[in-house]
Amino acid sequence: MKGRWSSIVDGKGFDIALVALPLTFLLALSGVPLIYNVLMSLQQVDLFSLGTFWRPYVGFKNYSELFAQQETWPILANTAIFVAASIVGQFLIGFGLALMFSTNFPGASWLRGLFLVSWVMPGLVVGAIWSWILSGDFGVLNYLLRESGLINGNIFWRSDPNYSLLGVIIANIWLGISFNMILLSVGLSAIPADLYEAAELDGANAWQRFWTITLPMMRSSIGAVIALGIILTLQQFDLFAAITSGGPNDSSNVAQYWAWELSFRQYDFAKGATISVIMIVFVMVAAFVYVRSTRHEIRG
Amino acid sequence: MNIRKCAMLSALVMGSVLGFCVPAIAEDVTISVWSHDNDRPASSLVADYNKLDTGIKIEYREVPFDDLVSEALRAHSTGQAPDIIAIDNPEHALFASRGAFLDLTDMIAKSTVIEPKNYFPGPLASTMWEGRQYGVPKATNTIALYYNKDMFKAKGLDPDKPPRTWAELVDAARKLTDPAANVYGIAFSAKGNEEGTFQFLPWAQMAGASYENINTDGAVKALDIWKTLLDEGLASRDTLTRSQWDSTGTFNSGNAAMAISGPWELDRMVAEAKFDWGVALLPVPEEGAERSSSMGDYNWAIFSSTAHPEEAFKVLEFFVSQDDRMFGDFGLLPARADIDIGETGQPLKDAALHVFLEQLKYAKPRGPHPEWPKISKAIQDAIQAALTGRMSSREALDQAAKKIKAVLG
Repeated sequence: MKGRWSSIVDGKGFDIALVALPLTFLLALSGVPLIYNVLMSLQQVDLFSLGTFWRPYVGFKNYSELFAQQETWPILANTAIFVAASIVGQFLIGFGLALMFSTNFPGASWLRGLFLVSWVMPGLVVGAIWSWILSGDFGVLNYLLRESGLINGNIFWRSDPNYSLLGVIIANIWLGISFNMILLSVGLSAIPADLYEAAELDGANAWQRFWTITLPMMRSSIGAVIALGIILTLQQFDLFAAITSGGPNDSSNVAQYWAWELSFRQYDFAKGATISVIMIVFVMVAAFVYVRSTRHEIRG
Repeated sequence: MNIRKCAMLSALVMGSVLGFCVPAIAEDVTISVWSHDNDRPASSLVADYNKLDTGIKIEYREVPFDDLVSEALRAHSTGQAPDIIAIDNPEHALFASRGAFLDLTDMIAKSTVIEPKNYFPGPLASTMWEGRQYGVPKATNTIALYYNKDMFKAKGLDPDKPPRTWAELVDAARKLTDPAANVYGIAFSAKGNEEGTFQFLPWAQMAGASYENINTDGAVKALDIWKTLLDEGLASRDTLTRSQWDSTGTFNSGNAAMAISGPWELDRMVAEAKFDWGVALLPVPEEGAERSSSMGDYNWAIFSSTAHPEEAFKVLEFFVSQDDRMFGDFGLLPARADIDIGETGQPLKDAALHVFLEQLKYAKPRGPHPEWPKISKAIQDAIQAALTGRMSSREALDQAAKKIKAVLG
């Protein structure tokens, strides 16, 4: 008895308790809904059977029906384009800004802080603002492009199927820049300054220093930023709701918005769950990359 | 709480059955009401009712528009449904057809307050399912053509003769469009949600189509005209993603010469529009063609799970008895033909009101059909596919017809 108690307070039991507690939370809060979601995608879920647990099992019917729909592949392609373009844009600009601020010019730190404003703004507010900026007739973006002579006529960012996805991507890149910048800034500041001094003494130029010191030292930060970026981009919903509603004609529709639309607009909960399951697979790949890239950070 | 109340009530009932004389110590019966209203009728009506001492107390809950149906479904499936709900009219059949709403036909037949014959046929039909009445219309609305009389004069059009046919409408839009001044001929909404369906169905219906038969020649012609309006730049391309409220905003600010929208805009227009405007009936395909319009707003319904159907019905009767305040106090059109709406003292608004009341006579409910959201989605997809040039109007509507047929079974 005494032995077990001391094991709980200090020993193997304590370790197990420490792991068990968060694991229980994780299973209850994430695991159960996840499994329920997978289960729902294999059932025939009806508006009025939503509240019950036992519903007719239909196997992979929801999946086969979903992939028979003609909009499925374009929407999945949109999702891939949206994620890839957003990540590339957010990362490149965010990294550029992080490098710029790391030179510590006067006022760099408070200017960097200001960038966080975009990150703390609610997505729907950002969406509403961008919805005005992107508006075809009176939008600021068109005004700027017109005045600078880049375009002649107005571009209907929200309503032209050729531009609608791009419009949301631009807004999402803007939204994600500060997140990338802050995380990468943290990574940059963790690189010991003497490394650069030594390299400079050895005659390495700025590009060589970046390529041989900064990038290798930033590997895990970059991996984490990109993996988190993929997960956050796959969660991006507000901008679609506020700017294009996935339209026109699904040209800017993505899986996450479609899942919501199917579940809560057409009350086809099983199909909504099916799309969510497909997305879980993508998120798991990203999560795997994230875990791999942060593995090096564990220090003894 | 609820269980205790039920137990108390049944004890009271038992007591009276057994012949005990129970003095009037009975706790008030509580009726819960859900609605999406903001400052509109429900909350005020509930407050007024609670001031009366009827032995019935109403508990009001405001539910956001986007959550109303899903909340109601969740509540219903877990046995937590309110007694009374105000539901958007195209969703009414969804609940009625599944037995979630109480059949009020017999209670209404006995009622001295609720008279089905007083209602406009459209709103009334939206409460019906298989010949039985599952609710009463709360208010109603429809769409008509707003036009800027000053712009009509400026472009040499007669401000007292707004377009009456589709051809005249397109013609007027061409004359009124002025890209140099940032003025579009017309503003409407072809958004890929219920609003798009709401705006398009009247056009299709005037041309003899219906949701069950959406790919008629007339509907194709209607969609072609919408396409013409967008392709020629007579309406903004943002028509495809803009709500009715935002579209009409461009009319109020003088950036569109005409707008198709509903009476919910009247108060804002009176406050914002710095020009002379009028309202006309929706133009028809050709002179003498059948009129049609869409029909919006909410219906009252009682959930079949209610423990107090009698009391809930009394509350409903009270709501209906206040219908004559609908326009004056809340700016909404009552769904009844027997109510005379007085003058508001604002001539533009009063003139508009008469047109909307006339237009209401032709308003048709969407559906009613329990799978309405899917039917509506098929129509929205067709509108958007045609207007973005992905398909011809014919192809798009054929596809919609196919999808709707699959839903109708």
